[in-house]
Amino acid sequence: MATTTPNYGWDVPTSTDYVKDGAVAIETLGDDIDATLYTALGGAYPGLRLIKKQTIGTSVSTIVVASAFSATYENYLIQVAGAAAAASGSNCQITFNGSTGSTYYWAGSYTAYNGSNVFHGSNNVASSVIGLTGTNSTTNYNIQVYRPFATSFTSYNTQYATSQYAGQYGGFDNNAVSHTGFSIVSNSALTGGTIYVYGYGAS
Amino acid sequence: MTNPLIQIDDEVREMTDEEYATYENELNPDSAPVE
Repeated sequence: MATTTPNYGWDVPTSTDYVKDGAVAIETLGDDIDATLYTALGGAYPGLRLIKKQTIGTSVSTIVVASAFSATYENYLIQVAGAAAAASGSNCQITFNGSTGSTYYWAGSYTAYNGSNVFHGSNNVASSVIGLTGTNSTTNYNIQVYRPFATSFTSYNTQYATSQYAGQYGGFDNNAVSHTGFSIVSNSALTGGTIYVYGYGAS
Repeated sequence: MTNPLIQIDDEVREMTDEEYATYENELNPDSAPVE
């Protein structure tokens, strides 16, 4: 005679149950566990989940991050943390692997710590600026990317602060295609640090 | 002349001439920061 587990009430057979009923009992128990996990976690892929982690090499100008975007998530968080640039105040850009033409738009501003503020932007260019580079391992970016895998425009926004500047940028790729990866393209070569890619739970 | 370095996954190598041309095309002009 079947019984249940003490905490979550999963259906389990007892030692006197027929072996011939074992397959059905396993299926029932599996469904119970699946339902409990789904409820406890808040969905099949809930929360913010780490997809990729890539250590940045020495004096690299372009870093290609493949297989980052998929149908599992709609929106993503990319963090660049602790990279040291050869020079401060150089532009650092992002490109998405489905778009290799001049379809990128970007705009934003940066402020030096003396309060001097600069607004700038560009359109129909081959990449989008995500921020300025920083020395002393302070090339750090927080990049929100919206719908890169969908066959639609991909947009993004960033916040960042280096040891020389703080600022924010946003933009989009005016090309309705799907992307599976991206590249960080820096005017000043980067050394060290890590690129993290997270997916925002969508179900 | 040595081309800049590109990193693909954990591999770091010199850009090919084609990759270097792509890289140069992808650069937005420096921001002329105000100190």
